[in-house]
Amino acid sequence: MINILTGIDSTSSALNAERIRMDVVSQNIANVNTTRGPDGKPYTRHQVVFEAVLNDQFASTSPPGSRPLEVRVPRVELDRRPARLVHQPNHPHADANGMVSLPNINMYEEMVDLMSASRAFEANLSAVKTARSMALQTLSIGKR
Amino acid sequence: MNPLSALRSLAVPAMRPESMVPANLEAAKPKSIPFTELEKLSPGILPLPNTVQPTTGGFEKMVTDFVGEVTAKQGEAANSVNGLMSGKNVSLHQTMIAMEEASISFQLMVEVRNKLLESYQELMRMQV
Repeated sequence: MINILTGIDSTSSALNAERIRMDVVSQNIANVNTTRGPDGKPYTRHQVVFEAVLNDQFASTSPPGSRPLEVRVPRVELDRRPARLVHQPNHPHADANGMVSLPNINMYEEMVDLMSASRAFEANLSAVKTARSMALQTLSIGKR
Repeated sequence: MNPLSALRSLAVPAMRPESMVPANLEAAKPKSIPFTELEKLSPGILPLPNTVQPTTGGFEKMVTDFVGEVTAKQGEAANSVNGLMSGKNVSLHQTMIAMEEASISFQLMVEVRNKLLESYQELMRMQV
């Protein structure tokens, strides 16, 4: 198969990974006040784990000694920090002391995560654009 | 109708050396003397016939394969767009990258075709 945009596979996998990260962050933001989950406990903050994987399929086109690496999200892990306790005696999910466990989500943290995911996505998009314009500029060698 | 099939049929005959010679030149060529007549004149001067086999399907096959790969890339892009439209698990950037790859490889193919035609026309302009 001809390889027109070289190195685009790593970028594509990174775009995918950042997309998943953004999905998880928005899921956290959506559930910031969720006091009951399917397991009967308040929602727990999720966070993505990125992992570099070898891409052997395109190893032949890369310079010798360097194997192309891709990013993937092997799993989404739970944040182990304790839940926030708020005193709300009239809440249906309040315990005997009138305390309600709210998810261990800090909205500022989530906003920073969202921005960082968005910026990383943008950076990878710039890589795609640069690869594309390089290919087009190379094709213009043949024009006169 | 696949637009690439037209190009394939355009590219393939042009690659054959004999089709580069126009028909009227064929008629103007001196008539060749049969080998048997020449053998009678001086035996042993003629080279053995068919010592050099013309290579078949070298460049022609390469061009055809290349056009096939461009078609494959376009099919890949179309599949990706279909998957995205029908709500399969295809992401937007994968579709855009596939479309971009198809577009660039098509442009590369057009450039190759331009070069081929240019060299053919250069040959046709040559004074004999």
